Amino acid sequence: MEPELAIGLPVAGSVCAAVLRARPRAAVGAGVFLGLCGVVAVALSIPGRASTLLGITLSMSSESRALLIAAAVALALVVALAPLQVERAILLTWGLAGLAGMAVIAAAPSLDIIVLAVLTMAVLQARSPGTRPFAIRLRGPVLAAALLALAAAAARSDGPPILSRLAAVGLVAGLSVALGTLPYVHQFEPEERTATSPVPWMAFIGPVLAIAVLSRARDLIPSDAGAFGAMMIGLGLLNMLWGSLASWRTETGAAAWHYSFMADWGLALCGFGLAIADGQRAALLVLYGILLSRLPLYLWSRQSLREKRPNDRPINLLAAAMLAGSAPFAGFAARVLLLRGATQVYWPLALVIGLGLLLWLPPSLRLGRSLGLPRGRQAWGVGVALAVNVVIGLYPQPFLTLAGL
Amino acid sequence: MSEVAAFFAWAGAALIVLSDGRRGLALGLALITPGFAVLALVAGESLAAVAILLGGAFAAVQRLRTGPDVWGLMPSGSTSRLLLSIAGGLLALWIATSVMTGPGAPLRFAVLSVLGLMGARVMSGGQTAALVTALAALALSFAMAAGLADTGPGPSPYIVAALFAVGVSVVTLERANGA
Repeated sequence: MEPELAIGLPVAGSVCAAVLRARPRAAVGAGVFLGLCGVVAVALSIPGRASTLLGITLSMSSESRALLIAAAVALALVVALAPLQVERAILLTWGLAGLAGMAVIAAAPSLDIIVLAVLTMAVLQARSPGTRPFAIRLRGPVLAAALLALAAAAARSDGPPILSRLAAVGLVAGLSVALGTLPYVHQFEPEERTATSPVPWMAFIGPVLAIAVLSRARDLIPSDAGAFGAMMIGLGLLNMLWGSLASWRTETGAAAWHYSFMADWGLALCGFGLAIADGQRAALLVLYGILLSRLPLYLWSRQSLREKRPNDRPINLLAAAMLAGSAPFAGFAARVLLLRGATQVYWPLALVIGLGLLLWLPPSLRLGRSLGLPRGRQAWGVGVALAVNVVIGLYPQPFLTLAGL
Repeated sequence: MSEVAAFFAWAGAALIVLSDGRRGLALGLALITPGFAVLALVAGESLAAVAILLGGAFAAVQRLRTGPDVWGLMPSGSTSRLLLSIAGGLLALWIATSVMTGPGAPLRFAVLSVLGLMGARVMSGGQTAALVTALAALALSFAMAAGLADTGPGPSPYIVAALFAVGVSVVTLERANGA
């Protein structure tokens, strides 16, 4: 019953928060209560155990469950420590809707239901007021859904071996489009609200979606796992390089953050592509970092970015160190695991990744400065994000164990 | 029977690609819906067929009630759309019958042609009415793609797709009406 509750309760919370928006305290109270109940349902769910209460077999993997909990914690952090001018009820409405969609994706029995969930979330996001037109906002997710469905169709049909290879290409391309990584970068407008921008696809929904698609991909194309992994590594290196360079050189501060997510995804894709335990662990730590630190910091940097008041205080340098993946933060542990995994698979790859990691430093300094001087709730938020990241970096094993690794 | 149903599905998708008015879009969806329903019925998924029929019919009727009250078939400058409809159909036919092997070629053709054409329709942009019609048809084709698996997917993808088709036709139109 837990997967059904994990989906239903955040939906109810999102609806309550939207309906009660005129009464902000009631909206936040109802949303927080139902959202918390949903997270408890996720935490209590036993990985791999199927539930058929609604006539659909729903079951969550350990990795999906761990990332769902991390996403819920990120949402709680962002809502609790939201800047004063941000309406918490709206944040909660969108966040809980996203969480419910992620729970559907995590518990879905097949790629087809995942694709339909992505399509539903895309339409809900695209129909909300925003600066980009409805058609433009739909493009990325719809192309992703179509590519994933075509890949599934190719994998399920009998025919020559090339069909299986095409399915592998479709799965990698579909995942890349859904996330908005290179070469399918979603159109990004710096002034757009975060909830309606492409950032949630990359930084909030993306981690659970990637885990779900990758686990289905292993079942769909077992014979082409090598080619699939090689494509993931290639795409990962491309995103590492492009994301970090673009994050450094782009003019707009918000776009720099957008590209930095892309660079982190490059690391995660490399880790998943290695298909060994160290690679998976590294990828998972990177995803924890995106959800629990990079995303909240991005949201708290928005005000400072608008006001164009960068700062060079110690807190900014600490944030930059965390974003660059230096010790003792989680990014460092992830990088060590990734390099160790790459060395096991093919040592020149470790050399390439190692050189690529140097590119994180200049953009991270820029992003750290862009936080400005955090005050009040934002200062608490930055402190909590840094502390959480240090804890993951120093003691990664409990977080990896939660994900079954 | 399956071949005729698959042809209906392709013809409906082509009509949605070629139309801008509500009558043309509704007719396109009304052709895809029975096509898919018959293919699901042939595959032994009677509950799925009912779900597809109800969801698609609701979306088609809803489309007929709102949007530009014209057929809008092949407006000027739609040569590329015509080429896309024909080439997309031929490509899907070739892949479904020659590249892919085994039974179920009509289902494969229907799925590939509708999926490809509707994907292209959404990607090319246009008015909201055309986009949501294409989205409804796309969702139905995703559910039908699940039927290509060796083990039957059960009715769940079809019901979810039907609900999506109903939802997208109602929710987005409310907004287009100024809600």
